[in-house]
Amino acid sequence: MADSDCVVVMGSNMAENHPVAFRWPMKAKTEHGAKIIHVDPRFTRTSAVADIYAPVRAGSDIAFLGGVINYVINSEKWNKDPFFKSFVVNYTNAATIINEDFKDAEDLDGVFSGLAPAKGGVPEWPFNGAINQYDGATWQYAREKSGAAAAKPELKPGEGFAPLVASLVRPPVLKDETLKNPRCVFQIVKRHFARYTPETVEKATGCPKETFLKVAETILANSGADRTTSFAYAVAWTQHTYGVQIIGACALLQLLLGNIGRPGAGVMALRGHASIQGSTDVPTLYHSIQGYLNAPSALRKHDTLQDYIATETIPTGYWANMPKFAVSYLKSMYGEAATKENQFGWDWHPKILGDHSHMAMFVAMNAGKVKGMFCVGQNPATSLNAKLDRAALRKLEWLVVKDNWLTETANFWKNAPEVKNGEVKTADIKTEVFYLPATQVAELEGTFTNTQRLLQFHHKAAEAPGDCRSDTLFYYDLGKRLKKLYANSTAPRDEGFKNLVWDYEHEDESERKKGEPSALKILKEINGFFTDDPARHCAGFGELKDDGSTTCASWIYSGVYPAAGKLLADRRTPDPPGKPGAQLNWGWAWPANRRVMYNRASSDPDGKPWSERKKWVWWDAAAKKWVGYDVPDYIGTKPPNDKPKPGAAGMDALPGTAPFIMRPDGQGWLYVPGGLVDGPLPTHYEPVESPVNNLLYKQQTSPVYKHWKDPANELAKVGDPKFPYVITTYRLTEHYLAGAMSRWLPWLTELQPELFVEISPELAQEKGIKNLDWCKISSPRTVIRAKALVTRRMQPFKIDGKVIHQVGMPWHWGYEGLSKGDVVNELTSLIADPNVSMHEAKAFVCNVEKA
Amino acid sequence: MNTFPSSTYFSAPPDWGWLIVFYFFFGGLAGGCYFIAALIDLFGRPEDRPLARLGYYIAFPCVLLSGVLLTLDLNRPLRFWHMLIESNTFQPMFKLWSPMSVGSWALLIFGIFSLVSFLGALAEDGRIQSPAWRKVRPPGMLNGVIVVLGGLVGFYVAGYTGVLLAVTNRPIWSDTPLLGMLFVVSAASISAALMILLAHRSKWTMPGIGALHRLDAWVVVLEFLVLIAVMISLGPVFRAWVNAWGVLLFLGVIVLGMVIPSALYWRRQWLGDRNVTTAAALVLVGGFILRLVIVFSAQGV
Amino acid sequence: MAEPMGFYTDTTVCIGCKACEVACKEWNQLPSTNGGVNTLSGDSYDNTRRLDGIHWRHVKFIEQFTEDRKDGHWLLMSDVCKHCVQAPCLEVCPTGAIVRTEFDSVVIQSDACNGCRDCISACPFGVIEVNPASGTAQKCTLCYDRLQGGMEPACSQACPTQSIQFGTIRELHGRAQKRVAQLHEAGEKRAYLYGADEKTLGGLNSFYLLVDKPEVYGLPPDPKMPTRNLASASWFSALGAVVVGLMGIINFRNRGAGAQDHEERP
Ligand SMILES: Nc1nc2c(c(=O)[nH]1)N[C@H]1C(S)=C(S)[C@@H](COP(=O)(O)OP(=O)(O)OC[C@H]3O[C@@H](n4cnc5c(=O)[nH]c(N)nc54)[C@H](O)[C@@H]3O)O[C@H]1N2
Ligand SMILES: Nc1nc2c(c(=O)[nH]1)N[C@H]1C(S)=C(S)[C@@H](COP(=O)(O)OP(=O)(O)OC[C@H]3O[C@@H](n4cnc5c(=O)[nH]c(N)nc54)[C@H](O)[C@@H]3O)O[C@H]1N2
Ligand code: SF4
Ligand code: SF4
Ligand code: SF4
Ligand code: SF4
Ligand code: SF4
Ligand SMILES: [Mo]
Repeated sequence: MADSDCVVVMGSNMAENHPVAFRWPMKAKTEHGAKIIHVDPRFTRTSAVADIYAPVRAGSDIAFLGGVINYVINSEKWNKDPFFKSFVVNYTNAATIINEDFKDAEDLDGVFSGLAPAKGGVPEWPFNGAINQYDGATWQYAREKSGAAAAKPELKPGEGFAPLVASLVRPPVLKDETLKNPRCVFQIVKRHFARYTPETVEKATGCPKETFLKVAETILANSGADRTTSFAYAVAWTQHTYGVQIIGACALLQLLLGNIGRPGAGVMALRGHASIQGSTDVPTLYHSIQGYLNAPSALRKHDTLQDYIATETIPTGYWANMPKFAVSYLKSMYGEAATKENQFGWDWHPKILGDHSHMAMFVAMNAGKVKGMFCVGQNPATSLNAKLDRAALRKLEWLVVKDNWLTETANFWKNAPEVKNGEVKTADIKTEVFYLPATQVAELEGTFTNTQRLLQFHHKAAEAPGDCRSDTLFYYDLGKRLKKLYANSTAPRDEGFKNLVWDYEHEDESERKKGEPSALKILKEINGFFTDDPARHCAGFGELKDDGSTTCASWIYSGVYPAAGKLLADRRTPDPPGKPGAQLNWGWAWPANRRVMYNRASSDPDGKPWSERKKWVWWDAAAKKWVGYDVPDYIGTKPPNDKPKPGAAGMDALPGTAPFIMRPDGQGWLYVPGGLVDGPLPTHYEPVESPVNNLLYKQQTSPVYKHWKDPANELAKVGDPKFPYVITTYRLTEHYLAGAMSRWLPWLTELQPELFVEISPELAQEKGIKNLDWCKISSPRTVIRAKALVTRRMQPFKIDGKVIHQVGMPWHWGYEGLSKGDVVNELTSLIADPNVSMHEAKAFVCNVEKA
Repeated sequence: MNTFPSSTYFSAPPDWGWLIVFYFFFGGLAGGCYFIAALIDLFGRPEDRPLARLGYYIAFPCVLLSGVLLTLDLNRPLRFWHMLIESNTFQPMFKLWSPMSVGSWALLIFGIFSLVSFLGALAEDGRIQSPAWRKVRPPGMLNGVIVVLGGLVGFYVAGYTGVLLAVTNRPIWSDTPLLGMLFVVSAASISAALMILLAHRSKWTMPGIGALHRLDAWVVVLEFLVLIAVMISLGPVFRAWVNAWGVLLFLGVIVLGMVIPSALYWRRQWLGDRNVTTAAALVLVGGFILRLVIVFSAQGV
Repeated sequence: MAEPMGFYTDTTVCIGCKACEVACKEWNQLPSTNGGVNTLSGDSYDNTRRLDGIHWRHVKFIEQFTEDRKDGHWLLMSDVCKHCVQAPCLEVCPTGAIVRTEFDSVVIQSDACNGCRDCISACPFGVIEVNPASGTAQKCTLCYDRLQGGMEPACSQACPTQSIQFGTIRELHGRAQKRVAQLHEAGEKRAYLYGADEKTLGGLNSFYLLVDKPEVYGLPPDPKMPTRNLASASWFSALGAVVVGLMGIINFRNRGAGAQDHEERP
């Protein structure tokens, strides 16, 4: 971002929540006068240092971005400047032609072809919250007619899965590089966004037309061969029932502008929790086993490993290597026991039954489907629809809370509002609660993976006090005990436990005595090594095999620990000042220490840098390889003029001009034929709870959002007069999440001592509320109290001529700690985005009254 | 954003409270009484000597009390000596340009003078049998020197407090150079008033008393003029007194402590016997309120 | 003496994160308002309100919005002791507790201070207050202990956006002037430096880049030395003394009147 000429912070309050990362936009601003733009319902700390602040009503981002897309496509600059044409035609799927039976939201007034009521899922797991679902068959690329795909070959022992993968390759797609064909992606996109005019943007978002146009102009002016614009977003884009589509809209825009894979460009997902990036790479995610491989599922054809590979492998592009990653992963799980004969222990591996995300699990818990819970590094008593969450906790037989403080969750049976007001009696709560004190990060060694996929190793700085123990120790010990418990079991389901590789004994005597496992041994397993010579670490995922000769717990991390005593995540050598560089010797970034992903796009189709100023990675014709400031995110020796081999699998299927090697066609997707369950193109919908009608389509909300129906999870009707205001929830720099990490600390509580609700003077006057008055804030779920903070940083929006008030609340408070306050999540509901089951805490409705 | 009448509005109040108000009052009395006593010693008639002694009797206890009040006002009272001796080097601590530094020394020196004159007075009254101390009373060269110096230091003690306030960055205090003058004159008026009261209590009838009346009457008028000068010199900062403090200043100081007493001094017959004593009492009250208003009003802003 | 050191604070890149405020408290182990059990001030995001004995750094939040929101600014500024080259506090301190260090910073020696609070009323910026924990006047020390150890101050090191920059005053002046020029070019004509020139108390070793009048940031437009009044005030007092003296002499000399006075009494 320090290289950006324009930084658009939208869907995030970067300065507030990523203050340290925000040094880079500020560097760009002070060092080469980069423009900073903030698009947010509230004027925030980020807006304070932005060159342009654009107010938008919470939940209207797609309308805004769609407006920018429409502006760009029809702008003179975009149509004249050859850079854009060249980037879009070569590096995106703009030219690709789509099935004729595809129907766009244009044709069906807000929905796409293939919509049908949801099928329930497996009877054992009725907790998916799905209402409708799409069948994406009609969304596909049009392909050359040719004989049906080759029949699946029988795999002969000895050879890997390559033939199987090859058999999955499909006929080539139809294209029109002139972009004239009405069914080519570009024309579809152009038509789709035609209705997102500046006037419509103003009506739907409440952002004044002039401001919107200023933003669009600035973005366009700072995009091209020698200027780049980057976007930064976080949970104000994700926490919507169409969050993934908002991000998709941004990706679409950035691809149109050639702002992907280049220095100072991109779509920056500002990750949240420290190392939450790591926790999705080596996942705590239920639907992914590692490195973004889908988890074995009872809902798909995953009966055998071969079925799994046949169903999940993308045969063209780099993902063709998926079998190697999957097999190496199984080897890391079951070691010696995993053999070709037993499909590397495939049958031992657990399969998911459906949606096991946070909200689904708590609904199941509330239905008595969950016996016990390990709550390690989470505070669900303050989570979405908190009251319902706590009701679920009461249904547990046992709850283990491992935390640094006695959180709201640890004390839910004692101090929760419903207990305090007598609704629930402690005596009636049967849940047995265990509290285990946890260590702090400085009290153990390990790695952090941060926003830019950078792994940094941290060493132990202090001994943990008293009984505090690390989480690794806890899980390591738990695993040992369970293995002992199942040692003599004959039940097939326990085979997994019996064969699980579980040996991380610490090298250091005293640590071993304490039971602390070795972080390095765990990292070695993640990095991967050769089964015939365990001392030999894998130098990178290129070395992984699908024949069981390698083991690797997370392929994308392969290479971080290429040899014993050579821990690349421990490096701390910055580049010399002044000269352009990617800081390649500071820590280690996955994949393969590449700092800018898809950086093949930083040079033109012939492999020459687009411009001197934005030089990053280019083709060295003499040396016949890709070179540059960064590690090329490409096959190092694949020349720009390389032509795809017909019918080939893997990288051979892609031309030398295809930067997006993880896509089957090697191209950036303006139009998304697969992978998303809610449509191939971003479409403006209203939040599920909204005071206004969708001004762009008849379809009010996402047709496929998730709703877990429950009396305690009622939703407000559109324009419900009882809840006339749009409310959003967010963070303050001074506090951290549910507050356990900040509300116990006097130096922080004195800075933000009490929960408040931010309202505009206009609304305050309407309601007779004065600054600091106590207010009641209500949603269909509950009522909470907070002090009013009346400020002009909040403003009413004019939506389609009607004044809509926007209020906001930080959500850091709870009933424990030095600074206490009501739990804002008592107000929120259990509804979600269908792709990722993310809640919609960023835009719903409420009422505010003087208490 | 409203504009500020003076740059002094951005400083912080030092939280000088009642202790300081009383210190200003008693310090004023101490200095004033000694000064008047000295004048009587030097220019008065022999019959007036009891009056002079009265002055010394008042001065010394007041200085003592002042010292105590000042020390108690420190957040670290046991470190009062740091004002006189540099605590890390044990060198004498003296800053000519810091009124508080000079003032501390002045208080010490004046303390000694007033003690000497106090003992002298006792001896002359025969309350202590000490021919030696008897000798420090005039006439006599040495004695003359003592009362002159003592009188000057005394008046410094009475007045430096005003200078000290001026040498800050607080509104009002540092927005006029006249507070010192005001305090000096006021010191004279309240001291004369107190001496008048006490003299009348002991039914004295020496001529000096008449002189005291007149002196006080004149000084009160002078004080009034200086106060007006102060208000004018404040310029825009005068705003700071457009509030309860201003009202108190007007009623308590100007009306009660100046106008009425002057009237009483010039129109003797009104209250007959009580006339002068009432006037004197009111002057004392006014003098106290004056200090109170000046100390507190400047910290309100 | 080492080269004068201090701060250049560019308020246009301050994000009000208060890292400086907390870093200061942590390094200097300062107590919190009422043990951390504070109440919402209602004044924007500022809940510590001012510099005092337990807040040696303080971040100000100034909201400036027109009613139609067409023009809106949220001015953020991290305030601290200015380490004045001619320091009013140092000048008046009667105990010599306030000293100037080899870095040209102004430091209060807590062991020497007796809490007379003269410095509090002398500081034109309202920086100093008594720290209840020590009973002495306290303020920013420019991290004297860290500087002696060759480290930079805790606050500037914590500042993520380099709004607070620490260095030699000479170098900082250069940097600041460049930034002002850059801002003027970019159309931010209001940008200027506060306290970088000798005019303000001989120059402030902690100076600021501002985009509005000093008053708006709670800074005095023209801070002055308290001693500006010393001579005049002293002379006037002396004059007062003389006049009163003369009145006294006249009265006590003027016996006639005095005697008559007596005879008049019935
Ligand atoms: N100090 C601090 N830092 C943190 C955290 C913390 O709790 N405290 N949490 C960390 C975590 S886990 C995360 S996920 C990140 C989150 O980082 P952010 O996403 O930046 O955090 P939020 O404050 O939730 O939301 C940011 C902004 O979104 C705005 N907003 C609300 N609704 C909408 C909308 O519909 N559209 C747009 N464009 N804007 C909207 C809000 O007004 C708010 O200013 O922060 C991380 N960093
Ligand atoms: N309304 C609303 N709700 C939201 C959001 C929102 O924007 N609005 N944001 C959502 C987002 S993005 C997130 S990430 C979630 C976060 O929600 P939670 O994760 O439930 O809340 P945290 O406070 O982060 O809980 C983390 C806990 O881990 C503890 N902890 C810290 N370090 C360690 C450690 O090393 N070991 C162990 N065992 N414990 C440790 C902390 O003390 C804390 O109690 O909230 C979500 N909820
Ligand atoms: S809290 Fe940690 S992760 Fe977040 S910005 Fe500060 S330093 Fe970075
Ligand atoms: S700012 Fe105030 S405290 Fe700091 S040196 Fe100047 S006068 Fe002293
Ligand atoms: S309070 Fe302490 S530092 Fe301030 S003037 Fe008095 S003695 Fe000096
Ligand atoms: S320099 Fe040191 S003492 Fe001064 S504000 Fe910064 S951290 Fe605090
Ligand atoms: S740390 Fe820097 S950015 Fe944050 S408030 Fe302080 S000065 Fe501003
Ligand atoms: Mo998060």
